[in-house]
Amino acid sequence: MKRLLALLALTLALPALAADTIKLALTGPYSGGSAPMGVSTLDGSKLAIAEINAAGGIDVGGKKMKIEVIERDDEAKNDRGALIAQELASMPDLSGVIGSVNTGVVMAGDKYLQEKGITKIICPAAGSSSMTQWANKPDGTKGPAQLSIFRFAANDGIQAAMVVEEAINRKLFKVAIIHDDTNYGVSGRDDLLNQIKKQGGKLQVVTQEKFKIGDKDMTAQLLKAKALGAQAILIWGIGPELAAVANGMAKIGLKVPLIGGWTLSMSNFIDNAGKNANGTLMPQTFIELPISPRAKAFIDAYHKAYGVTRIPSPVSAAQGYDAVLIFAAAVKQAKSTNTVKIREALEDLQAPVKGVIATWRKPYSKWNPADVDTHEAFRRQQVVMGMVMDGRVIFGSEADRLRLAKEQQ
Amino acid sequence: MPVSFIVQMAVSGALMGLVYALVAYGFQLTYATSKSLNFGQGELVMVSAFATLSIMGTGLPYPLVVLLGLLFGALLGLAVERTGVRLALEQKSEGWILLTIIIGLFLFSFAENVWGRDDRPFPTPISSQPLNILGIDVTPVELSVAVGVLAVMLLVEAFKRTTLLGKAFEAVSADRDASELMGISATRTVMLSYALSGAVAALAGILVSPITTVGPTMASALVLKAFSVAVVAGLESGFGVVVVGLFLGALESLASFYVGSGWRDAPGLVLLILALAVRPTGVFGKAVIRKV
Repeated sequence: MKRLLALLALTLALPALAADTIKLALTGPYSGGSAPMGVSTLDGSKLAIAEINAAGGIDVGGKKMKIEVIERDDEAKNDRGALIAQELASMPDLSGVIGSVNTGVVMAGDKYLQEKGITKIICPAAGSSSMTQWANKPDGTKGPAQLSIFRFAANDGIQAAMVVEEAINRKLFKVAIIHDDTNYGVSGRDDLLNQIKKQGGKLQVVTQEKFKIGDKDMTAQLLKAKALGAQAILIWGIGPELAAVANGMAKIGLKVPLIGGWTLSMSNFIDNAGKNANGTLMPQTFIELPISPRAKAFIDAYHKAYGVTRIPSPVSAAQGYDAVLIFAAAVKQAKSTNTVKIREALEDLQAPVKGVIATWRKPYSKWNPADVDTHEAFRRQQVVMGMVMDGRVIFGSEADRLRLAKEQQ
Repeated sequence: MPVSFIVQMAVSGALMGLVYALVAYGFQLTYATSKSLNFGQGELVMVSAFATLSIMGTGLPYPLVVLLGLLFGALLGLAVERTGVRLALEQKSEGWILLTIIIGLFLFSFAENVWGRDDRPFPTPISSQPLNILGIDVTPVELSVAVGVLAVMLLVEAFKRTTLLGKAFEAVSADRDASELMGISATRTVMLSYALSGAVAALAGILVSPITTVGPTMASALVLKAFSVAVVAGLESGFGVVVVGLFLGALESLASFYVGSGWRDAPGLVLLILALAVRPTGVFGKAVIRKV
């Protein structure tokens, strides 16, 4: 009887307990081709949440509150993304959303969150259009005055700029651009061409080639690049096809650097290309090397928590981790679990947030539809060039490693 | 443009073409005996490749792994025949079309849930270090595809022509009812053709996986091309699929080079339309007069 009473008391207490938590939704592709990014983000975020909860939670106006996670797998499918966003938008006490990898999913879902004013941090990726859709358009249509969508990712513009910069620094002036024929690949190509123009037109594009998702034989495209004397291949695509390109280059003996977007650090590229991936260069926000005590603590905690010796996508894991820390700081400053108050705090974050990627000082500012950078956290200095070496991503330049290690002291 | 480049592209393309030919051959085997096709042939290729990968994980020696993989494919072929085709054929209905598609979809979901949706590397003892033969770069893995495809097709053709069981195979293809009257079990022969077709699909998976990696969607593009090859060559001719496969593969590679990489798939489709418009029985097919 006593036990029954205790059980009864517990069940009665549960709703009261639930009201004392900060509800945070984590979404993203936890299965499918983008899963390495989605799952690493999820795991990185959960690591930060576990640490916060273990310390008793976040101080919300004098009361310690824990974070409660709501997890949704969008399977990288646009329609699933839209459904999930509608579901989340209908939750009355949701404090925020962190997640999304695929541009299409973001385009399909975020409008529902914005409609209800629910704060979302896009992390770890999504193409430029995920933010520019809210900006003023060239045809005169104005973006919304208030925006609840933030982005926590190195945008394609920064990445393309770094890729072009790298080719120029290495004096590789004749380049071939190869990309997949999806939105991501085509907009990547446009970003590259724009950047080449912007950086003085020093690069000569000898050929532009494309491939389809699922293509395995890239001989024709690569031979063309070889015949036209390309000194570097600039590439925009995702894992498996990137591997086919790297393997094809080895086959026809095209020994030139492969430089491209951050997807070149995906485990399904590194594993499928094997040693042919060595020397590949790509922008990274985080390198899985213990260059500072903070980075070492994070990497060790991740390995231990998930029983791995290599993070499937270190960039995603670190961004997921830092995004939660920033969100938590905003909750603390807002002294509320109200999603609108959290948005306002995010736009004017006072205390610096010590993350594993960087120490974030005022990552966001008040939304201005004429300038999407107001809701973008990453700037050029938080991104470094990474290089694949023997199955891992290391620093592409020693200078970057030293600079980051010093910053994180 | 140096000639060696053109030859290089044609060779690389033709090697992929041989894989189309092998999958197309799987279509032919069952069509010959039962006038039915397994529309889930691509999923057979994929599931067999995954199963072989799992068998490899046990650490058995490679030749044994391949053998077990082929056996798995054959059993899968038999399962398709029993569940999807036999009853439909007995009732002279076209139900096998839908049923084989459904089995394919089922196998696809099965693979997604058991092995996951990621593309995985498929280890092989054959080197992928390129060799330079007469100025053309090919890898031993690619050569193994060519050797494997041609060897298995020669073997099956020799089996059909020289053994008693093979003769039964030919007899059922020629006239099912007459061969039943001669004491040949048509059902058994159809079973045999599905088992062979499954083994051929497994071999295609094992040969091509080291190049393409293994994933649930690995065969979806492949099977469409294979179907074009089978139709263009005619559903009767084993020799025809090799020729058409080689030709289509080389053509794709060259088209992608000269016309633009966005046009890679165009030649296959143009060829298919042309073949259906000009020679519906296939380039190597025999026009049969059907008595009604």
